[in-house]
Amino acid sequence: MRLGRILWFAVLAIALGASGAANWLAPAGYAKQYREATDARPSAEHWLGTDELGRDRFARVLYGTRISLLLAPAAALLSTLLAALIGGLAGYLGGVWSRIAMAVTDLFLSLPWLFLLITVRALMPLNVSPFVSVLVTFLLLGLLGWTVAARVLCASAASVRSSDFVRQAKAAGLSGQRLFWVHVVPNLKPVLYAQFWISIPVFILSEANLGILGLGVAEPMPSWGSLLKELESLVSVGAEPWKFVPLVLLVLVVTSFQILLSKQEEAAG
Amino acid sequence: MNTETQNGALLSANLTVRYTGKPPVLRDVELEIREGEVLGLVGQSGSGKSTLAMAILGLLEKKRARAEGSIQFRNLDLLNLSERELRSLRGRTISLVLQSPLSSLNPALKIRTQLKEAWRAHAAGTGADCTNAIRACLRSVSLPDGEEFLRKYPSQMSVGQAQRVLIAMAVMHRPALLIADEATSALDVITQSEILELFRSLNRSTGTAILYISHDLASVAGICDRIAILHEGQIVECGATEQIFANPQHDYTRKLMAALPRVLPADTSPARKSEAAAAR
Amino acid sequence: MKHRNGNFITLAALRDAFAVAIVCAGIMTGLATAQGGQLRFCLHNEPKTFNPLQVDDDAAASIRYLTGGVLIRLNRQTQQLEPELAESWKVSEDGREISFRLRSGIAFSDGTPFTTEDVAYTVQQLMDPALHSPTGDSFRSANGKVETKVVSPSQISILFPAEVAGLDRLFDQVAILSQNSPKKEMAVLGPFMVADYKPGASVLLQRNPNYWKRDEQGRRLPYLDSILLNIQPNRDVEMLQFKRGELDLINTLDSEYFDKLASASPQLVHDAGPSLDSEQLWFNEVAKAPIPVYKRDWFRSANFRRAISEAINREDLSRIVYHGHAQPAMGPFSPANKFWFDAALKPPAYSPDKALQALAADGFRLENGTLKDRAGNAVEFSIITNAGNKARERMAVLIQDDLQKIGIHVNVVTLDFPSLIERMTQSFDYEAIILGLTNVDLDPNEEMNVWLSSAANHQWNPQQKTPETPWEAEIDRLMRAQASSGDANKRKAAFDRVQEIVVDQQPFIFLINKNALSAVSTRVHGAAPVILSPQTFWNAERLTVSGN
Repeated sequence: MRLGRILWFAVLAIALGASGAANWLAPAGYAKQYREATDARPSAEHWLGTDELGRDRFARVLYGTRISLLLAPAAALLSTLLAALIGGLAGYLGGVWSRIAMAVTDLFLSLPWLFLLITVRALMPLNVSPFVSVLVTFLLLGLLGWTVAARVLCASAASVRSSDFVRQAKAAGLSGQRLFWVHVVPNLKPVLYAQFWISIPVFILSEANLGILGLGVAEPMPSWGSLLKELESLVSVGAEPWKFVPLVLLVLVVTSFQILLSKQEEAAG
Repeated sequence: MNTETQNGALLSANLTVRYTGKPPVLRDVELEIREGEVLGLVGQSGSGKSTLAMAILGLLEKKRARAEGSIQFRNLDLLNLSERELRSLRGRTISLVLQSPLSSLNPALKIRTQLKEAWRAHAAGTGADCTNAIRACLRSVSLPDGEEFLRKYPSQMSVGQAQRVLIAMAVMHRPALLIADEATSALDVITQSEILELFRSLNRSTGTAILYISHDLASVAGICDRIAILHEGQIVECGATEQIFANPQHDYTRKLMAALPRVLPADTSPARKSEAAAAR
Repeated sequence: MKHRNGNFITLAALRDAFAVAIVCAGIMTGLATAQGGQLRFCLHNEPKTFNPLQVDDDAAASIRYLTGGVLIRLNRQTQQLEPELAESWKVSEDGREISFRLRSGIAFSDGTPFTTEDVAYTVQQLMDPALHSPTGDSFRSANGKVETKVVSPSQISILFPAEVAGLDRLFDQVAILSQNSPKKEMAVLGPFMVADYKPGASVLLQRNPNYWKRDEQGRRLPYLDSILLNIQPNRDVEMLQFKRGELDLINTLDSEYFDKLASASPQLVHDAGPSLDSEQLWFNEVAKAPIPVYKRDWFRSANFRRAISEAINREDLSRIVYHGHAQPAMGPFSPANKFWFDAALKPPAYSPDKALQALAADGFRLENGTLKDRAGNAVEFSIITNAGNKARERMAVLIQDDLQKIGIHVNVVTLDFPSLIERMTQSFDYEAIILGLTNVDLDPNEEMNVWLSSAANHQWNPQQKTPETPWEAEIDRLMRAQASSGDANKRKAAFDRVQEIVVDQQPFIFLINKNALSAVSTRVHGAAPVILSPQTFWNAERLTVSGN
């Protein structure tokens, strides 16, 4: 158990450390095109080979990790908080509020997001830096990703609302706000954790797909999403295992986060 | 009703409560609680005991329940108070202990957090003040006040300990009235008697009046100064404990007496008068 | 052919969307090949109609090519017009009238005899405004009635209200309908006829037993018994089925698939050389465009555009993005257009230094690696292209890197196609675009709607009331002159001049011409893929398939 923890921690530390030290580990940067060595195999010079445009894959993985590891959890946190707030409050307040919130959630789920996102892109200037573009995208994902979790949370919060301990806490004179944040929200933790952990990989992939709408990270900046997109045509990747590195890294990092934090929980609980 | 003097009345209620679309749960219930006394409210489940407790705390669900009449508490009518005013009373002046200690504590929170929240609801002060207050009230219910205990979750305690924590929370602000709603019915016999003794001693040491709600006449008998019998939404009889036991007036009271185990002094079922002496 | 008439240049992106069905073609190699066999390939969309005059999508166009009989056929290999149902034809001096002498003894697939009346009926249907024939659009040069005159049982002449440019070649698209056949448009004169249609799944064509053509040995064409067209929009699935031997042809491949297939089985792939299709970059020169005035001033400067053109390494574009299956574009027309390409054009030079010199002439200067204009504005602009087109995205990133070398910062933005078109044609809210144009015809007349300054597809600055620049006025004059001349050499001279002006002014910065790439199974005999659509099955009537 103990060893496992250390191992997962090491994975995380290496991923974070390496991406933080990208400037030193890959001094040529993620955009440099080695045009005479495109789609190259791993070599001493390019540890993970180069991509279609001759850019060093190792550098792109490091910088992509930095972007995604920074922004995806932040967006996941945002959507989780929104889900807690909207779903949790709806269930906690019950009655009309619950019905209104669930109607809004249904509306959100049924909205033609594609068109809304297209509108967002239309309102954004064309000359935005790649980082702003990816920032806006993750922000949007965070703002839109709460709906499904909110429904589950609404049901959980409703059951918490009628529990003895909430009545007892009310009788102790707690305000509605304190009741909600101190007594209701902690009881929604399992759902909130699930929402958070599921959102991270989902957002990372969604970010890449939003490239279709001119959102998401813009060239030449890499993100895990844009790197994973290369795996779309698996046929070509089969014989070139080093191209799986971004995927393996994503799985490892998300898993290690999850394991470390759940152990934390156990230790605390 | 009897003609006891109004002097020393902490709370006097005249109350009808109905849930929408149903016959009233409480009908013209008249009840008086005097300063510093322990009043037992006895009735079988469904008789409206808990509704009465909730009405006093202003915790009836407003959407579904309507309370009419008045609940005079000192010089306030609780039914006319705003939610804000009620909240400042709850836990500080009137507090509640519920039946099932484990489900009445939030399973996701440490004891310290729950006590802290209860304290902060009515007190401002530093963290140290808060800790001191928490420790003091834990001691007052004979619980350990160490860090180790404060870090526990409800699931890591015995039922008796949990109930003491709830009581500690309820007496933390020295309330004038403590409502114990079936507070001992989920406990085993020994723990039950310990908790009853705790209530009694808190009552004596702090002067907190206790409304002790139970379906169990026997447990009430030990600690109550007076007893009110609630039957089908009405108080059918109310009087000093000895008087009720010695001379129950109402049919229903007599039935309750008859159901008691015979360990009490003999001749407790004398009443033959079958006229329904209306409590009013 | 698979294109929409009337739009000589359609956006290549559209073509990506409605992928072209392709099949192989072949020349009889003189072997005494056995008749028979079934040819199988994919349509990439559901054919919307079997009426040849209503064709508006690639799948229906493929079916029309295989089943329709036309008076004149453009030989896809020689790029020459050839007599088909007409033994001979003649266009009048003024370009308004065409007269045909028809072959005799020909019957439709159901046995109904083919007569001059069928031609008259087809033309009437083609031009009937109520029927909205997309094919007919190309013929509508002016309002007024089209008159058909049956001169003799084998001669018919058609008079249009005004001159129709390139009149004879337009008949390559006009499949003749039968006036009297009870089977309506299902009675055909082409080598094959529709035998079965399973919506969403397949179209089965069978040989037309009444097809008139014979080979040099006097054998009836076509050799094939049938053609099975699977409706399959997914290119990956198509590739897989081809590899498994379930398909015999892939009409157009992109360079990535081509290389994958070539590395496994080089005998299956064909690179027919540069096609007519081009990819280009252009700047927004629209006067009322919602972009900063100083940027529009850059974009409207020929020096600026020339400099950008010179700073782009086209060799790298074709080598890296297209894996060598593309050629640096020299100008508006690809060298593959044998007659019309201006041989005087030189291959574009790549020279960042000369680019900087050209910019200096306009007052631009490099400051700490950033190019600044005379007023001190840093030169930065965005290039938009349609999302999902990997080749264009990659070209944009290479260009981004190329231009960084002369101090220009480029933002690459990919947009969904409708948004892109909206910006390009309605709001003009863009700075630069990379898109491709699919040239579907060899004749410059088909590009009037691009080069005339008043035209809607004059993308860098469309629908000008009067030409805003002298060179655009000159192009207008030359395009009109070549269209109204019956003399091919005079037309050629005028259009050569247009090509030279375009190369000098760079309103479109032409990047590359893609090669025509296809795949043909070794079971297919007689295939000779060409650059014109349908690349692989243009000679379907002479193909055979063995072993299935």
